[in-house]
Amino acid sequence: MNKSLNLWLGALTALLMVAALYMVFVYVPTEADQGIVQRIFYFHVPCAWVAFAAFGLVAICGIFYLWLGQDIWDDLGYAAAESGMVFCTLVLVTGSIWAKPIWGAWWTWDSRLTTTLILWLLYGGYLMLRAMADDTPQVARFAAVVGIVAAVDVPVVVVSVRLWRTIHPAVLVTRQGGHGLEDPRMVATLLVAMAAFTAFFVWLLILRFATLRMRTRLVTMARELNLAHAAAGDF
Amino acid sequence: MDNFGYLFAAYTIIFAVIFLYVVFMWRRQARLETELRAMEARLKDVREELKSRAAPQSRSAQ
Amino acid sequence: MSGFVAVLRKDLRLELRSGESTIALVALSVLILIVLVFALDPVGGVRDASTAAGALWVALIFAGMIGSTRALLAERDNGCIRALILSPLDPGALYCAKLVAAFIFMAVAEAAAVVLMVLFFNLDFDARLLRLAPVIALGALGFSALATLLAAISGRIRAGDLLLPLLAVPMFVPALIAGVKASGAALAGANFGAMAQWLKILVAFDVLFLTTGYLLFEHVVGED
Repeated sequence: MNKSLNLWLGALTALLMVAALYMVFVYVPTEADQGIVQRIFYFHVPCAWVAFAAFGLVAICGIFYLWLGQDIWDDLGYAAAESGMVFCTLVLVTGSIWAKPIWGAWWTWDSRLTTTLILWLLYGGYLMLRAMADDTPQVARFAAVVGIVAAVDVPVVVVSVRLWRTIHPAVLVTRQGGHGLEDPRMVATLLVAMAAFTAFFVWLLILRFATLRMRTRLVTMARELNLAHAAAGDF
Repeated sequence: MDNFGYLFAAYTIIFAVIFLYVVFMWRRQARLETELRAMEARLKDVREELKSRAAPQSRSAQ
Repeated sequence: MSGFVAVLRKDLRLELRSGESTIALVALSVLILIVLVFALDPVGGVRDASTAAGALWVALIFAGMIGSTRALLAERDNGCIRALILSPLDPGALYCAKLVAAFIFMAVAEAAAVVLMVLFFNLDFDARLLRLAPVIALGALGFSALATLLAAISGRIRAGDLLLPLLAVPMFVPALIAGVKASGAALAGANFGAMAQWLKILVAFDVLFLTTGYLLFEHVVGED
């Protein structure tokens, strides 16, 4: 990967991340009801946004791959799925750690966490397919199809889980965090954290993408080697 | 400062997970680079061999 | 259209001839129900309508996974998929034939499961079952649409039978939620109006996945 791009993105990410950390731990006021634990929210939400956005990217790459047939879309989709999975895991873990002191339970089946859990499972399925089918020549097509189908599924999941939780509300009160930030400082902190995590995701994505491109080059080269040997009559 | 432990745990995990992923990528990258260089070298050798086979006259002329 | 009918007739004829395996697989769905009765220990009667509904849908998913794998098994084992692709048969038509075969299989298994559910959970054979039937049918259709597409993938990779449930079950969750809720309501005596929201989700799910499956199936069976 282009060294200077890597450097610039890394620097930008670091800068935004430091700014976000400062705002979360020094600048923003403590929330009245939940105390300092509420500060988890400022990293929890950006992770969720990244996880869902990455998923959309996987699907878009899938569509382009099926349409144009270029390997680059396959590699980008794979990179997006991996990076997205990292952030999706973080959403679930931070959500759980946040839930415990506030509601006394590690897991609440509230609509947002449940939807993220399903998303996590969908990601997992996609990555398992990649891992298990890696030696199959058509793996890129299969992954593209699975990515698209899963993305089509997500809106239905959101709607159905929301309805599920409205009609039978969770025993524990649904978390209100997210909308209802009265203090503008809280909004500012959240936005900076969003920017920081988006930059982080893009950086990780491009790093992983570069590695996958290299691997594709390797495979192409191996094929060329075989062809060269065949041309030389070595087989 | 109640529940500080939870806050600390959450942020530590965030950085730990991301750090681990970066390490994972780093190692894959290093391994691939070695393989790539080896592959490039082999390819060069094969091409040279093909060239020398295709032009035996020039060799005997030497 | 004729291609669709031809493939479907072939599959059904094959299925009818190997009758024992169909019976065995129906029995398997029934066994799941029995397991769930022991696991959940319901009191029975209308009070356990939602538990009965849940058990029914577990059996449905089970039957669905087996059914969709089998629908594609015959072609895979004999290498007939290649022949079908080379023929002028439209891949969309092949998809429809396979999914209908899977659906029929699921319907048979579910019919048996419903009968046994009424017996095991101490419900009644009455009009409520008539309202239950379309809900189950919508669920089976959606699962067939989803699983036929995914089974075409999993059938072509090693250890694919592990992958199919891993992919299919999370994707099926919205239909599962809606289906169980609507089924529970039907068994408890509610009318269609009361379950309208859930039915809408089921229908949306079916339309979405039938369309997606139909459009994407060709990418999954092609060779390159």
